Amino acid sequence: MRSSAGSEGEKVTTPSVGIANHRFAYGYYRQTFWNWLIGTAFFLGGLGAGLFVLGLLTDHTAGMLAGYLIVVVGKNTAHMLFLGRPERFWRAAMRPDRSWIARGIWAMGLFAASGLILLLPRVFGPAWQLSGWLNGAATAVAVLSAIIIMFYDGFVMNSSPGVAFWRTHLLPLLLLMYATLGGTTLSVTIHELRGEPTPGFLPNLEHWLLLVNFVLLAVYLARMNRSLPAARETLHQLLSGPYARVFFGLVLLVGLFATLLLLIVENHVQATWLVVLIAVCELTGDFTLVMVLLKSGLFPLQTAPAYGAGGI
Amino acid sequence: MARYGMVIDLKRCIGCNACTLACKQENGTPEGIHFARVVTREVGTYPATKRTFLPVLCNHCSDAPCAEACPTGATYIRPDGIVLVDKEKCIGCRACNVACPYMNRHYVAKGLLKHGYGTDGLSPYEAIKFMDFEEGTNIKCTLCAPRVDQGLEPACVVTCPTDARIFGDVEDPNGKLQGLIKDRKGWTLSPEYNTKPNVFYLDE
Repeated sequence: MRSSAGSEGEKVTTPSVGIANHRFAYGYYRQTFWNWLIGTAFFLGGLGAGLFVLGLLTDHTAGMLAGYLIVVVGKNTAHMLFLGRPERFWRAAMRPDRSWIARGIWAMGLFAASGLILLLPRVFGPAWQLSGWLNGAATAVAVLSAIIIMFYDGFVMNSSPGVAFWRTHLLPLLLLMYATLGGTTLSVTIHELRGEPTPGFLPNLEHWLLLVNFVLLAVYLARMNRSLPAARETLHQLLSGPYARVFFGLVLLVGLFATLLLLIVENHVQATWLVVLIAVCELTGDFTLVMVLLKSGLFPLQTAPAYGAGGI
Repeated sequence: MARYGMVIDLKRCIGCNACTLACKQENGTPEGIHFARVVTREVGTYPATKRTFLPVLCNHCSDAPCAEACPTGATYIRPDGIVLVDKEKCIGCRACNVACPYMNRHYVAKGLLKHGYGTDGLSPYEAIKFMDFEEGTNIKCTLCAPRVDQGLEPACVVTCPTDARIFGDVEDPNGKLQGLIKDRKGWTLSPEYNTKPNVFYLDE
């Protein structure tokens, strides 16, 4: 409860502001426009692109192919299912100078083409191999576009001023690091499932990324605590509201802590099922983070200076 | 060129929602979509309580974040400041919905145009009005652009029984809107979002 001056100057006690349950009510409105399909597209884009880059780095065709298919088939399907008029999707590529959605579409198009050029000789034999410089150019384009796919969703969210919880440049960085972590985890799992020796740096990278992502997440939340009122309310909802169990349980406990613990165990007890369990835990946390970031977002109160932070 | 906008006098607003209904009638929007609405809040503790009313509509911002976020250019700002949507270009990505801090963008979900209010089918009125919309695209307040183009005022303005809404050129230094904004310290919603709204409120 707080006291504020009413429009006639008298003192009235104002109840704390809650979540509005319809559009004629006063309060914070939940972001409901971007749903699980967009969350799935963001998750698959980061995961697939991360896996592709790591596959290229470790010269691992299975990883590259899986990453390519996750992006080209998985992410694009989720996007198309989400769009209200999917037959006009090409129009979204028209403004790369201003829109991160348009830049993302260009990146996905370039990735699809350059990734295919790299994969064809690996899958179907050297007859498909292009000349040296063309192959080099395709590699550069594939890596660059994959990296853009790993983080551009963060900029898409970040450039949506309606949801204050997304208004920080930490978000693209957070999504980039989570995409790298997801790609690393899946790369290790594919190596294990195919009975191939895992490159030594991958498990170490996974350890470090878990720690880095935890710190980044903490910094992101701390940053939001000093942001606009709608961002602070979102943070409050995330930490003690309806999404708290999901956030603490799946994002932190399962996605970060359990994954780290299982990785430490896996150093001593090497078993395929353990590697798969690590992947399930990490990817669950990865996907849940994207979903809670999307679903917990709140639109601001309709406030004005004359009425103070309490709004009308 | 004029920049159209509105001043809403909260001292005059009685929360009757006549503007909401007039907008509904003029635009024939589908169920659950209101271009104009009155946000109501109860404040105080019994028995010292009261209701406050805030009529809201698209602010037709000069720096409209919905137009900025639109990847196709479907959302555009006319030279007279009215923010409109070209439904032929809209792909239904809903970037404008999450860009607008005022929640004044509306998505026409699939199936929404197949039924009217409380019925399975459409009334003759809805059948005509719904032809203006397309499922899977975004719609918004047009500031009654077709009326404005004929020299008329928006439906919500002419309907308001207390004359709480004043429509006109917000940039005309000698216009009635500028005078009201200056004399009565007009303010805009959520100025911290830097969207430069063209709907101003008066409460002094």
